[in-house]
Amino acid sequence: MFIYRGICRISKTAANYNRCRWLYSSASHQQLSHYSRFTSPISTSHEVLGCRVNNFLISRPFSSGGPQPSYEGSSINDPVDPFSLVADELSIVANRLRAMVVTQVPKLASAAEYFFKMGVEGKRFRPTVILLMATALNVKISKPTSEGVVDMFSTELRTRLQSIAEITEMIHVASLLHDDVLDDADTRRGIGSLNFVMGNKISVLAGDFLLSRACITLASLKNTEVVSLLATAVEHLVTGETMQMSTSSEQRSSMDYYLQKTYYKTASLISNSCKSIALLTGQTAEVATLAYEYGKNLGLAFQLIDDVLDFTGTSTSLGKGSLSDIRHGIVTAPMLYAMEEFPELRTVVDKGLDNPENVDLALEYLGKSHGIQRTRELAAKHASLASAAIESLPENDDEDVQRSRRALIELTHRVINRTK
Amino acid sequence: MHGANHQIHHQSSSLVEDHLDPFSLVADELSLIGDRLRSMVVAEVPKLASAAEYFFRMGVEGKRFRPTVLLLMASALNVRVPEAFANTLGDDLTTELRMRQQNIAEITEMIHVASLLHDDVLDDAETRRGTGSLNVVMGNKLSVLAGDFLLSRACVALAALKNTDVVALLATVVEHLVTGETMQMTTSSDQHCSLDYYMQKMYYKTASLISNSCKAIALLAGQTTEVSMLAYDYGKNLGLAFQLIDDVLDFTGTSTSLGKGSLTDLRHGIVTAPILFAIEEFPQLREILDQGFDNPENVDIALEFLSKSHGIQKAKELAMKHANLAAEAIESLPETDDEDVRKSRRALVDLTQIVITRNK
Repeated sequence: MFIYRGICRISKTAANYNRCRWLYSSASHQQLSHYSRFTSPISTSHEVLGCRVNNFLISRPFSSGGPQPSYEGSSINDPVDPFSLVADELSIVANRLRAMVVTQVPKLASAAEYFFKMGVEGKRFRPTVILLMATALNVKISKPTSEGVVDMFSTELRTRLQSIAEITEMIHVASLLHDDVLDDADTRRGIGSLNFVMGNKISVLAGDFLLSRACITLASLKNTEVVSLLATAVEHLVTGETMQMSTSSEQRSSMDYYLQKTYYKTASLISNSCKSIALLTGQTAEVATLAYEYGKNLGLAFQLIDDVLDFTGTSTSLGKGSLSDIRHGIVTAPMLYAMEEFPELRTVVDKGLDNPENVDLALEYLGKSHGIQRTRELAAKHASLASAAIESLPENDDEDVQRSRRALIELTHRVINRTK
Repeated sequence: MHGANHQIHHQSSSLVEDHLDPFSLVADELSLIGDRLRSMVVAEVPKLASAAEYFFRMGVEGKRFRPTVLLLMASALNVRVPEAFANTLGDDLTTELRMRQQNIAEITEMIHVASLLHDDVLDDAETRRGTGSLNVVMGNKLSVLAGDFLLSRACVALAALKNTDVVALLATVVEHLVTGETMQMTTSSDQHCSLDYYMQKMYYKTASLISNSCKAIALLAGQTTEVSMLAYDYGKNLGLAFQLIDDVLDFTGTSTSLGKGSLTDLRHGIVTAPILFAIEEFPQLREILDQGFDNPENVDIALEFLSKSHGIQKAKELAMKHANLAAEAIESLPETDDEDVRKSRRALVDLTQIVITRNK
């Protein structure tokens, strides 16, 4: 499968492209009609602000490629499904991840593998972004006499880029394992959390193990700048978690503090991974910054909508969401905006949200305020910034490159239009 | 930095007088590192800072054994820049190299303390049993977070060295520490009585850190693979010797007779080298082991078997064997005329003796 992709990049006829897409899209249990797979790449501001487009593609956050009907004459403006574009590569990455966290100590092995098991890997959002970015930045390698040599370069570079996806996932899962211990969480990704199933200590140790494996893989890339970037991301994750665990009243009411914390906890990893992709492909500093900006703004947009969904769930009205943030005393963007409109809300929050009455009161204020709407607007702003970063990339005629860039832009829409 | 400090440290009374005390050879540098470590773990969040600093406080750092070894190794491998180059340039390079090697010592300490904090994390059963359960739970969270904090600082410091081989080495150490601790948590009955399993676990838990950081010191100094392996071998054998004597002292304490030690290992059900040797002589001891040591009577019975056996002696002999291997590694280093280098190498060899003749 992988070789086909390499070949695809060299021969760029539409026919070949279609054949390649057919060949490397994996069979899926999802049966979809032709048009339902795609969503318009152009979204109006009307769609973005306030109203949620109820597109069932979006309501399935993870979609792998299904058997695709081939179509002739693909044009530049054809819509793309980001997840299916990289579906096969994602499988390769997932398999390699599972192989990487193997160890001789059985208990440690089952702990480390816990979230890499088939079916539990989550949305694989991060690896999708990273792999798409890899293609979007694909540097044209000048064609040598022998086509075989070009394949080799493409493959080796691509493997290194895939490593970034693997490293990022290991760091991410390590942080989830530790966070669950810190939060006394019972469930994660729809199954029992590891600390619940196997104990706190092994969860902590497994997290450390994943982190060390990530560092070893990182070191093997032999790029010290990339090592620095991802080490910084690790530090940011810890800083973000620390900020969350130890806010003073003052800090808890501050939007700036919240956005800073959100950057550390959510956006830093993806932004620095995107930047790493750029560095590994030898891009200029400007391009590397654009990749970084994409990741950062996408991450922030994602988190802001996450905050909204925690209140609204799958409906537009309040209180249908899981409300887990507020019940844990975590004050997020919608509430912070509401506090700006209703300063008395701050007193309620300070009194403590352990008390369900206070939660209800806070929700009332939120309902009266524009908190939800303003959060969506902020998310939309960041999503636009992310799109803009992609659009500012140096022009490139390659179809694969263009398609991946469209997919990255598509992701910015999905992130804000999703309902869960 | 190589201040000729001739004071004899009060602990090393068994040293021949014209040998310099290893610890005082690097005392000044150790202070420097201690201060830098304390400032590195400053955090804006007070609770976190006190948790992280806990092990770096003045006076609590222990003998600072690991950093001492690493600094001595750095000196022992210090290859002088050839006279052909301007001396000032040489000095700058030397100073920068020395800084980087000191960073290894700092990173190593951060990793070590992070692992201590994470090893202390208790499982749910234990947290719920405690009467001060809130404190215990908070203690857990602080342990996890403070450990993560130190690990992330170590990662950043490692990255700053801009040497990916060193990153790989010290990341491997973290993996080994975790593996060793998990092995300790999950030993089956068979593994409990296996000397091989025990030595493997000991390598992971104790020796890997010092061996790989010694190797990192060598790599930073641009040494050959052979020399790096000698540095590694020194660290590994020194670490193993240290732990084996630790095991003995847990039984004997400051006297040569049994039962005067704290017996913490045994009481926690941790079976160490002396007992493992005793089992070879008295297989019946294994049954006691399987029954567990919550029952204090079993502790007494085990001690009886131990004293009848040659367990203590064999453990000491094994320690000595490793100490000698460590000394050999130093003696195999490429010859040098540099007096400071030779002094440090002698100190490293002396350490191998200190490690096995110490009584606490």
